[in-house]
Amino acid sequence: MTMTISTPSRAAEQPAAATPSRRKRTFGRDTRAGYAFLAPWLLGFFLLTAGPMVASLYLAFTDYNLFGAPSFVGLDNFRRLLTDPDYLQAWKVTGTYVVLGTPVKLIAALAVAMLLNTRFRGKGFYRSAFYLPSLVGASVSIAIVWKAMFIDKGPVDTIQQFFGAPAGGWVGRPEMTMPMLILLTVWQFGAPMVIFLAGLKQIPVQLYEAAAVDGAGPWRKFTRITIPMLSPVLFFNLLLETIHAFQIFNSAYIISSGTGGPARSTLFYTLYLYFRGFRDFQMGYASAMAWVLVVVIGIVTVIFFRSSRLWVHYSGESR
Amino acid sequence: MKRSLVGAVGMVAAASMVLTACSSGANAGAGGAGADDPNRENPGAEPVTLVLNWWGNDDRASRYAQAVDLFEKEYPWITVTTGFSDFPSYWEAKATEAAGKALPDVFQFDSAYLREYAQFGHVLDLKPLIDDGTIDLSGYDEKLVAGGQVDGKQVAIPTSTNTLAMVVNPDVAAAAGVDLPKDGYTWDDLNTFMEDVAGADTKTADGYKLYGSADYTGTFWIFLQSLVQQGTQPFTDDGKLNFKESDVVEWLKSTADLRGGDAIYPAARAAAVKPKTGLSMNESVGEITWDNFLAAYTADSGKDNLKLIPIPSGPDGTGNFFRPSMHLAAGANTEHPYEAGLLINFLLTNPEVGKIFGTSKGVPGDKAQRDAIEAPAGSVDAQVIAFEDQIGTTETTTAPIPVKGFGTIEASWLTLSEELGNGLTTPEDFAKRWFSEVQNAVG
Repeated sequence: MTMTISTPSRAAEQPAAATPSRRKRTFGRDTRAGYAFLAPWLLGFFLLTAGPMVASLYLAFTDYNLFGAPSFVGLDNFRRLLTDPDYLQAWKVTGTYVVLGTPVKLIAALAVAMLLNTRFRGKGFYRSAFYLPSLVGASVSIAIVWKAMFIDKGPVDTIQQFFGAPAGGWVGRPEMTMPMLILLTVWQFGAPMVIFLAGLKQIPVQLYEAAAVDGAGPWRKFTRITIPMLSPVLFFNLLLETIHAFQIFNSAYIISSGTGGPARSTLFYTLYLYFRGFRDFQMGYASAMAWVLVVVIGIVTVIFFRSSRLWVHYSGESR
Repeated sequence: MKRSLVGAVGMVAAASMVLTACSSGANAGAGGAGADDPNRENPGAEPVTLVLNWWGNDDRASRYAQAVDLFEKEYPWITVTTGFSDFPSYWEAKATEAAGKALPDVFQFDSAYLREYAQFGHVLDLKPLIDDGTIDLSGYDEKLVAGGQVDGKQVAIPTSTNTLAMVVNPDVAAAAGVDLPKDGYTWDDLNTFMEDVAGADTKTADGYKLYGSADYTGTFWIFLQSLVQQGTQPFTDDGKLNFKESDVVEWLKSTADLRGGDAIYPAARAAAVKPKTGLSMNESVGEITWDNFLAAYTADSGKDNLKLIPIPSGPDGTGNFFRPSMHLAAGANTEHPYEAGLLINFLLTNPEVGKIFGTSKGVPGDKAQRDAIEAPAGSVDAQVIAFEDQIGTTETTTAPIPVKGFGTIEASWLTLSEELGNGLTTPEDFAKRWFSEVQNAVG
């Protein structure tokens, strides 16, 4: 933020050095204009983001049910988190989803991006078609369709029955809801796919040609050229999708009909947070949960950045 | 540069302070404005606009619209603006409005939240309006009126009553070759009945097995009903639980054999067919539920011969209770308590309004409204009214006023029972976890 503000004014400073009065006027006008343009964002940031964040940090240390005034309880909310079986279940569900869903989604995205990067007819159509699921109605409408696919007598159920598998749909069975949600996120691979595609386009063809001359097969080309050359993009996608996976809400809410069920199998972190805050009116507790999530995502991000030094290669970097 | 930045921040801070100050100022003004309402002495002296909110669907919305039209004709100086949403979003919105002291003048209320709202003074005490005749409850049973009282204050008034009943589908019973439970049957008889239906191993055309009922121990209200049957009031007057972990364990164990023996409508199937149920899928003979749901079951199942029979009897008779429902309350922040009272009175007691709503909100508490319902013999309305009349001749109790946090502990009961049905927990663990939830929710 400071960078963007200071750069233009410093630029204005230099040519006007000979005439101080003019310099002052330009400086003032530019700054004012800068702030005027920034004002909507600043207002939004302070009133709608920073303000509530500070408030929620305070509320995390209180008992607040929305009706009465918050009462300070110190670390009680955080202590309660440690012994709350539903909270631990929420971590278990979310963790499984992040650890299994994110890599599978990225592998699918990369595989399809590589397919779309080859020469064939109707490439444009396929690119749009694969990107579409991540575009339509964010995720609400997709989740509704997804649920319809997996319910009793839905298409998946019918196919399963045809092959003699037990029927009844996946939605009601606690052991099947996680695979269902992971499949849903994998299917919405459009956004990382487009980024991978852009990354693949950046890899010089000469590298592959040289490798071919040296006798490298497709797998060797993939592991020795594609992956290293793509590693910054891979890192970006991995980070983004992991953070995204931690925050899953809509699809879990819709598929469990807003209950986190059956039998807490879709009790994701944000869903549980929402229940505590808005169904049970335990805003202090929900705020504590929110801050723990922020910290955990922060730690995961730091770990990713640290580890990236070992496996992410930027062109022109000597290592 | 720096100074400008500080200036900008200061400006934003000032703006936010001004905004905050504005809102708290408005709230302060709203609180005490009702006392010297000019309309109380001279109705119609000032035009008034009231906000009326409820939860429900389009069907209920059109009924409310008709009722409001009638009200505005009778009180031409009052304009009513309305709004509605589904049950969960409704309470989310109300909680936020309560926090901002911006509750509607009149709004539909549920007993599950009575204590929370009453305790923090968010709803108006309607007693003065009843005392001065603005709200006329002469057609009401006193016990029903008491269903809206907390700590000596009349914080809401129930529109209607519903009571737990067993909704049964005679066709499914006939298909399984089992007779419906007879009057005066007990919980053990019900269990035997469920074993008989499941034991017949009859299947629907689609290949789904027929069952007697879902696991009734999974519904918190049915557990409360069983406690009342044993002479235990589930909640104390000061809003605490009046039963122990062992009571819960015993209750859950009463159907343990059925769960183990595949004699209960399977939990996985129940979750799969949501929002329908075994009964509305025509795969289960019966279900214990609120009697005013008969209309919904009739519509969902496509059967018009569903019947209401009483729930099983306890050791000393059935001990069925009426649950005061669809309360109306007024926001404590209303600027027009008198007009809010007029609207509440109109909705609760006007016979035409009774005719408009029928039994869609339960059986009306007011006699004139009940009498006004045109229910052809055999219709759903007629069945529900007849059922409550039948229960009314033997029953005398009103459902206990739920404790604070009732919504939370009820939801927790349901989740745990899903785990129990899926074999993921035991009755002992259920009780332990549920009580720890109670500790946090009820306080």
